[in-house]
Amino acid sequence: MILGIAAALLLAFPRQTDEGFPGLAAGRNPRVEIPWNRLYDYPEIYAHLDRLVAAWPELLSHQVIGHSVEGREMRVYTLNDPSTGAHDEKPAMWVDGNVHGNEVQGGEAVVYLAWYLLENYGSNERVTELLKRSSFYLLPMVNPDGRASWFNDAHSASSSRSGVKPLDRDRDGLFDEDGPDDLDGDGNIVQMRKFVPGRGTHRLNQDDPRVMERVPSNDKGIRGDWIILGREGVDNDGDGRINEDGLGGYDMNRAWPSLWMPDHIQYGAGPYPLYWPETRSIARFLYGHTNVAAVQSFHNAGGMILRGPGAETYGSYPRADVRVYDEIAKDGEKMLPFYRYMIIWKDLYSVFGGFSTWTYEGLGIISFTNELWVGSRNSPDGRLEGEPRHFFDDHMLMGAGFVDWKSYDHPLYGEIEIGGFRKDVYRVPPSFLIEEMLHRNALFCIRHAETMPQVEIEEAEISDLGGGVYAVDVRFRNGSLIPTRTALAGSKKIGIPDRFTLAGDGLEILAGGFRSDRFRPERIELAEHEPAHLLREAGIGGRDEVRVRWIVRGRGPAKIRFEAEKALNQERNTQVP
Amino acid sequence: MHLIPIALLFFCCVQTSASVQDSGFRLRNHQDQQNSIASLARAHSANVSVETIASSRGEREISVLRLTGSDEAPGRPAILLVANLEGTRVFSSALALNHAWKLAEEYATEDGVRAFLDSTVLYILPRANPDAAEARFIRPLFERLSSGHGIDDDRDGRQGEDPPSDVDGDGFITQIRLEDPEGEWIADPTDARILIKADRSKGERGQWKLHTEGRDLDGDERVAEDAALNARVERNFPAGWKEHDGSAGLFPGDEPEVRGLIEFILAHPEIAMVVIYDAIDNLVETPKGIEDEARSVKLVPPSGVRESDAKYLKELGKRYREGTGSEAKSSSGDDAGSFQRWCYEFRGLWTLASVLWDMPIEAPPEEPDAGEDTPQGDAEGDIAEEAAAEGEEGDAAENQLEQEDENEKSKEPEPSVDAKRLRWVDAVDPARFDPWEAFEHPELGSVQIGGFAPFARFEPPADAWEELAGEHLEYVVSLGDKLARISFAECTREELGEGVWRVTAVLENGGLLPFLSRSARNTRSTRPGRLQLELPDGATLLGGRVQSLVSEIEGSGGRHETTWLVLAPEKLADGIRVVFDSDHAGQAQATPKVKP
Repeated sequence: MILGIAAALLLAFPRQTDEGFPGLAAGRNPRVEIPWNRLYDYPEIYAHLDRLVAAWPELLSHQVIGHSVEGREMRVYTLNDPSTGAHDEKPAMWVDGNVHGNEVQGGEAVVYLAWYLLENYGSNERVTELLKRSSFYLLPMVNPDGRASWFNDAHSASSSRSGVKPLDRDRDGLFDEDGPDDLDGDGNIVQMRKFVPGRGTHRLNQDDPRVMERVPSNDKGIRGDWIILGREGVDNDGDGRINEDGLGGYDMNRAWPSLWMPDHIQYGAGPYPLYWPETRSIARFLYGHTNVAAVQSFHNAGGMILRGPGAETYGSYPRADVRVYDEIAKDGEKMLPFYRYMIIWKDLYSVFGGFSTWTYEGLGIISFTNELWVGSRNSPDGRLEGEPRHFFDDHMLMGAGFVDWKSYDHPLYGEIEIGGFRKDVYRVPPSFLIEEMLHRNALFCIRHAETMPQVEIEEAEISDLGGGVYAVDVRFRNGSLIPTRTALAGSKKIGIPDRFTLAGDGLEILAGGFRSDRFRPERIELAEHEPAHLLREAGIGGRDEVRVRWIVRGRGPAKIRFEAEKALNQERNTQVP
Repeated sequence: MHLIPIALLFFCCVQTSASVQDSGFRLRNHQDQQNSIASLARAHSANVSVETIASSRGEREISVLRLTGSDEAPGRPAILLVANLEGTRVFSSALALNHAWKLAEEYATEDGVRAFLDSTVLYILPRANPDAAEARFIRPLFERLSSGHGIDDDRDGRQGEDPPSDVDGDGFITQIRLEDPEGEWIADPTDARILIKADRSKGERGQWKLHTEGRDLDGDERVAEDAALNARVERNFPAGWKEHDGSAGLFPGDEPEVRGLIEFILAHPEIAMVVIYDAIDNLVETPKGIEDEARSVKLVPPSGVRESDAKYLKELGKRYREGTGSEAKSSSGDDAGSFQRWCYEFRGLWTLASVLWDMPIEAPPEEPDAGEDTPQGDAEGDIAEEAAAEGEEGDAAENQLEQEDENEKSKEPEPSVDAKRLRWVDAVDPARFDPWEAFEHPELGSVQIGGFAPFARFEPPADAWEELAGEHLEYVVSLGDKLARISFAECTREELGEGVWRVTAVLENGGLLPFLSRSARNTRSTRPGRLQLELPDGATLLGGRVQSLVSEIEGSGGRHETTWLVLAPEKLADGIRVVFDSDHAGQAQATPKVKP
């Protein structure tokens, strides 16, 4: 009976989901509830996205673009409002995550972005407008095998970065035969240390014996009692080295065609670009979707908004594109506390064959790589500075992030101790800070997506030049920050130039061209051939316009058309005279 | 215009169980070649097998033949011979396939061939670029280079709308020239059939425009400027790949032929050397080396052959020139994205490249009729040598004279290389040049159509084929014992005290080439040798490594010594073994002998 009333009430009062979930707290009730305070394994990520597909089948769908080395699906989820055009006719943003298997939270960030846009579609004007004029291609896990291993096997925070195709990293003819070992079987790969009284390099912190301190090297005769023996493991292949040939051993963010360098120059690059099936399927997808006008690829950690070049030898990016990068990233720095906008080779380290450098240098798309999560967020005002990491772990996680040192009898080292921080601290946030990280980064993607080109054809001006000849002046305006063709795309002749067309049955189009001067109509770069159909390698700049003048004989209705790879095509009718 | 004779079928007279149709030495279209390959593998199944490594965009299978001796030992090193990477080099694929037939047929009878195949695996990939090569066998005849990913060459928003074509319908796509003051070309003053670039700094005004034969179908006043395909196999490999260059392809390895070849090499680490018959030469004009430790600039190492490898290339080049007499060099210095550069710079493989033949720039000297068909003998050889020596002197004298002449009347213009080539064409095979003929072009008006006949530059006269093939096969066979081959030169144990043994093993390289090229060591692309000490139960290692990796063993008898200290009672010491294995230079094991 009570249940019946409750059901009746639910039916009688429209649910509040119509108001969306814009980031405000009171009375919001999402259509699909996803706990944003945890991380999800491979099947769970797709399960969440499939729930979104079920709730918004008209807006979200997926396709399988390939399979990982172990046969896991590579799914791209397409988010688009089809009432205003097919996804591939609109400028689109590509967002992926988790190319490094251990850098997991990029996957959740991709899901969050889809969820946020869907929940607010129809209620929030800007979100609705964004999905009407653009689309999103979302691939939550570039490296699903690495992710699955990180969740299910014993790992540290930094292991399982690679994919899982076996590689003979130590060149002894055997593959993946000597990785770290979970010696004590507790599900963690942590550190090994050994007590060597008076002959060590380290000592235990007086106040907290869990903490190792390096003994200063000086003449005062101070000696350490401990040595650190690296990551938990044994010499599985008996070659005298420990943990030197583990799972995979390559880097799928060094595998892309632009400025690719082989393994001896760029560690992890593999034998040739796009060697691994995960990278190849993504490249095929992006070569086939020339409407992609913005790229974000989520990594962890360190709080960075990265752009290329990845290596000094590339030189610098064209000034006009750098201005676009700077403007978006400066907003990003305000949206993402503790994150810094950095150039990869200059401010981080050199990367040959990186993904987001390829999407810009190879495909001409404004592209960022965000490094999600930065430890300073644990203590925003810096008052934990100088404290050991244990303070936060002890007081905010009740010590759950640390595996206490325990004695172990090692086959080579004898009696040692094993202990250290677990894999899910340091590179990923504690559960209660995950949602903030996801929201801020998803909203940065939305900011980036909102700057994708959007062109309008303004009302044509018709001037009578006498003798039955008319001038048709048209302004094509790109109101957004990103140009229809980046300066790089223009200079490297990537894709197809923008096309500006005039057609009318009663018109003979005598000449046409781009005006270079607002006031002097005779300053015009005349097309040598086909004046009705003008091409422009440089496209239309960000927040800029292109002025076209056609000189025609005759009269009647005319159709003006603009076509571009990375902007919705536009059409406008006019009348001559 | 006539059919050029080399396009005619040419049969050689080899007695074989397979039909002459299958084994004959001639240019073959794809289907014909595949039939010949299949027939070869059938007729000589004990020594020959075939593997398909890729299928081209045009759905032509790319086959690799594997030839080796009948009883196969593990760890046999391999040579990979690749031909016809550029579509124009169809002759090179005929030669490579001829090698395969000859080797298979001579295995039973020729000691040298048997010794080679019993110690070496030879992979032969006769046609790396079947799509472009097929243009050799269809009309109109056209020197097609591209086979892959197409781009919009003229940036007019349309792709492939203005390709080369046979405008005058003579069955050949050659060149169009027309007199035009906007042109950049002038006639070679020594031979008006050849056009050379006008040098405006010398007061030369351009008089001619020169185009590939074709229409101006898109009305942009440019002729044959946008063909459907652009990517070339020989530009699509990762080393030095030129991004955003149409001929380089969409990304390295995008072309199926390229990826198939790369994957084949990755799957066959026993390949120690690659021989290429195509457009690039490094045997006639051997490369000048760069320092072994040449510094990287902004993290990128310089391109080129490392000094210590260049020394060996120089030696192998010298032997090549001695064996074949070839003087044919690369036609361009551009090796960006080439197979050759990838093999050497990124994989560290010994890579030898020959262009086989180039069109001579002189008419052949008139030979006396006598002596042509007389059987060879020592005396004959001597006479020939003397004649050759005389000839050289004569040439030198002539050159000197010429030079003096030039000094005196320096206004006498020097013919361009193409004009010199015409001397040979005129004397030997005039059909190789299609004389300029007036033609009324639908877009350009009055023009002339003509030029070198397609493929004329790349295919030697038929009567030279057998000799060329014989010399090159002999050279390839001679490479077998140049490869590094590692064995134990010594393996001993010496008792230092009761039950304590010093075990010593000395590896030796019996080949000319070092165990790893300098480039292989730099690139870490070839697995080093692995040396392992195997101890019986009860024996203990007191000193040394159970396993070590060996990268450096010089060629021509270079040695590598390793010692261990082992504790083992006398009766157990017999069970000590030393084992060496490598992917590309053999395997060996030894039982240490007691050293008195």
